[in-house]
Amino acid sequence: MIKNILQTEWLKVKNYKAFWLLLSVTAISYPGINGVAYYAFKDSIDAKSQSGQLVKMLLGNPFAFPQTFHTTAYLSSFFTFIPAIVIIMLITNEYMFKTHRQNIIDGWKKNTFVWGKMLSVLFITLIVTLFYVAVAVAIGIIATKDFENAQLFNQSQFIVLFFLQVFCQLSIAFLLGLLIRKAFIAYGIYVFYTFILENILGGLFKLKAKKWGADFGHYLLFEISDRMIPLPPFIGKFNEAENKLAIAAINDHVLYTLILTAAVWAISFYIFKKRDL
Amino acid sequence: MPVLEINNISKSYGKIQALNGVSFSVPKGSVFGILGPNGSGKTTMLSIILDVLQSDGGTYTWFGQPPSNLHRKKIGSLLETPNLYHYLTAVQNLRITKSISGRGSENEINEVLQKVKLHERKNSRFTTYSLGMKQRLAIAGALLGNPSVLVLDEPTNGLDPVGIAEIRELIKDLAKEGHTIIMASHLLDEVEKVCDHVAILKRGKLITHGNVSDVLSDEDCFLIGSSSSQLLEVMKSFDGIKQVKQTDDGVECYFNKAFVKPENINEFCFSNGIVLNQLTSKKKRLEEKFFELTGD
Repeated sequence: MIKNILQTEWLKVKNYKAFWLLLSVTAISYPGINGVAYYAFKDSIDAKSQSGQLVKMLLGNPFAFPQTFHTTAYLSSFFTFIPAIVIIMLITNEYMFKTHRQNIIDGWKKNTFVWGKMLSVLFITLIVTLFYVAVAVAIGIIATKDFENAQLFNQSQFIVLFFLQVFCQLSIAFLLGLLIRKAFIAYGIYVFYTFILENILGGLFKLKAKKWGADFGHYLLFEISDRMIPLPPFIGKFNEAENKLAIAAINDHVLYTLILTAAVWAISFYIFKKRDL
Repeated sequence: MPVLEINNISKSYGKIQALNGVSFSVPKGSVFGILGPNGSGKTTMLSIILDVLQSDGGTYTWFGQPPSNLHRKKIGSLLETPNLYHYLTAVQNLRITKSISGRGSENEINEVLQKVKLHERKNSRFTTYSLGMKQRLAIAGALLGNPSVLVLDEPTNGLDPVGIAEIRELIKDLAKEGHTIIMASHLLDEVEKVCDHVAILKRGKLITHGNVSDVLSDEDCFLIGSSSSQLLEVMKSFDGIKQVKQTDDGVECYFNKAFVKPENINEFCFSNGIVLNQLTSKKKRLEEKFFELTGD
């Protein structure tokens, strides 16, 4: 069954140029942002000036092993919106071409259709995670000077956390596409919410945190999974107290992310089953 | 055992009742036409039996069993517009149909494309096709794997006259091979030419259904002519006549089925001093019956 679903989903994307183009953009964006950040950092610590040496002393080398896994995961997570667009495109295409109906008419169960999309999200998450790992390792190799004393895979848990974060956020993108059905409206809502609304809400909740006794901004849709990968130590040390709390909350956010992802898929299965096609 | 049995199916869209307690069955090996004006519920009915829509009430069975996806795999279907991936070619689209339905093989993909005359454009993307070609590809998808049952919603939509004739012949050939074909259309001529069974819907209600000849011949019609100007008035006094009307060809007289024989009419006219120069039994066409039943 899973083989048939994977085979069919593969046939849908194998010859879809827009799909591969967007994945290529993702592939380029990861080394792009991490490379820019690394070389900007390198330039500043390589400076012979007093400030350059101060930065070097203060920040260490966040791109060397094992910190590279944390730093690149954090920076790469800014570009999850590109594979999210791919996911929205895949589901809204089905509605636009009405192929979601044809898949059912041809003999799939409604659940099978959603399983197919879930496997697609999983497949894209895997690809994106592989991009991230490749970039993390490549930058780690470039930035590490002392391999003998470096604990190479000490922070490799960030690979799992990054995978989980991407899967959760792409799942939310899928649900949005499923609910909205129109590609451009779904893209608009996704971009508006991710880049504008959640930041505004996060700020508002932060302002009210003292009054309410908790910062509910930590539980916003994307913030839940974003907080599994807190600020890398070289940035986090500028607000050490808050950073310590963020690190301590990683396990909680793993649990919240798992619950949220499960809920997103449960809702997706329910909607597709109940909705007229 | 009927291939499809529909019992009391209802469906509403808000306040609009699209189907209202519709029941009929489709015999094995028949070409079953579902007729009705636009908005009569034809596509809604087909969507329900293909599990695309959920009915509000009623049940249906495929092959005597409650419906399941395994039944749909055995049925070749075309619902409304061709629902295919625009960025893929004909062959790539049919591979998806094959993968989901489990029907057909790589060779059969070529065969069905030849059957619908798309073989030369098999590697062109769907988006470059004309409306007629898209329709042909959708029909090819339905034919893939030679399914025993075909459900076709307006199969000649978008086709030119030659294409319409070809699809009509294809349907007739498939019927001869023993396929059961369920076809919705508002083209009465098309249905009359290919269907042996029919169901007529109007505003979600089933008006009539059954064998086409039975539906058409629930009454006898005779066309009579005479040089006498009294013919119409005389025939109005015929005991048991249902309807009489003057047409360009003569006077049309309607009776309950088998109520009267032609010689009775001739005798009646003769006894009233009218000599007939024409007396023919007239077969009602589906179009006439349709307008009579739907009142449109």
